Amino acid sequence: MLSLTDPWVGFWLPLGLVCLSVGFWLTDREDPRRRLCLPFFLAAAVLLVLHGAKTQGGDAVETALLAVLLDMAGPVGLMAVGTLIATFAGPSPVGPLPKGLRSFGFLMAIGGLFWIGWMLVSEPPDARAHGIGETIWGAWVLVFLACVILVSAMGGSFCVMMGDARHKEGLALAVLTVVSGAMFVNIIREGSAGLDPAGWHDIYWQDISFIFGGLLGLVLAGIAFIGLVYIAEKRAPDPDVIAPLSEAEKAIVDAVLREHLGVGGEE
Amino acid sequence: MMAAEDRGPWWRLIALLLVLILIAMDLLVWQFSGGTDVLDAFRDMMIGASLAFGLASLALLLVSLATLHRHMHWREQVFGLALFTGLGLSAAVWQLGDSISTLREQAGMLLVGLSAALAASGLVLGLLLALVTGRQHVADPLFDMHSTGGDVSLEIED
Repeated sequence: MLSLTDPWVGFWLPLGLVCLSVGFWLTDREDPRRRLCLPFFLAAAVLLVLHGAKTQGGDAVETALLAVLLDMAGPVGLMAVGTLIATFAGPSPVGPLPKGLRSFGFLMAIGGLFWIGWMLVSEPPDARAHGIGETIWGAWVLVFLACVILVSAMGGSFCVMMGDARHKEGLALAVLTVVSGAMFVNIIREGSAGLDPAGWHDIYWQDISFIFGGLLGLVLAGIAFIGLVYIAEKRAPDPDVIAPLSEAEKAIVDAVLREHLGVGGEE
Repeated sequence: MMAAEDRGPWWRLIALLLVLILIAMDLLVWQFSGGTDVLDAFRDMMIGASLAFGLASLALLLVSLATLHRHMHWREQVFGLALFTGLGLSAAVWQLGDSISTLREQAGMLLVGLSAALAASGLVLGLLLALVTGRQHVADPLFDMHSTGGDVSLEIED
């Protein structure tokens, strides 16, 4: 008997529906399947919400994952909104916001990062206090910090290498790298509230290696997909030779040219 | 102004910096944890790669099935993706000891990593965008010019 508490129905089926919804959204505007996009997406969202409501954080990996994503929605949303505000409060020709909001946007973005830092030192809720929830939370934090360190180091060095006096941008990203690096070193040395350093080390060696391999697998799948499309296009027959214009078509072209350019198609 | 091409192979330096940071992070954790079994870590990496390959192919297969139309060369795409999905998932299940529940757990872990990586990249690149778009430039006189709608008159002076 299928139940919403079953992860296959309440979690993995909605993910499949989201993929189908994306596919319908990519169809032509006139295609009737395009209308199915929103119902499929809404059905997936409803199934996910009902599954999350009917299960507890420690029940299964899927519920723990939903709980961690829900927890992180706050700081990540704050960072995203702050970044958008800072962008559009600058000298932007598109949808400009008042200039005074720019520093407020940066504060919101950095505030999101500190919010995550605060979550590390405060007592975790039940959903990520122990078991698989704790492991998933630890893996999220480590991957997030590692990616912030790497991407901001890459962005900062890119600014410096590109020249054109981009020192302020490079310096800001260098500060972000150092702050994230300090948070990383601190949790590896001291641990966090509810998880000792040994737990963080286990997560680093087991799960981060696994996730790193996963990112490589994603890239490989993307390349393989491009390869399939390339093979399909290469095997496609050449387009037929287009027949020359008929006399009636030539007359139409001639009339159009005469009307717009004052010259004849065929003299 | 320094153009990118004047800087030589700049991407090599940036790639080297990133590799050094990765090695430093590993050495740091190695120092505090007292080491780990490298072969186990490599095995985990291979499981992650095959599982992610299978799941990404499955997601692309579903998207492709939903977008099928008669002008599309769909056979290579659909059959190829189905083959990749089968290969990736069966390799992952085999490496995980034929346990579907472990497969679910590990697939959930992949989604965790993906969401964290996307959030971090979005934050940093968004900040970079906000900083770069905040630059003030000298007004370009070309922006103040108006179009003549294609009417151009030339005066040739002898």
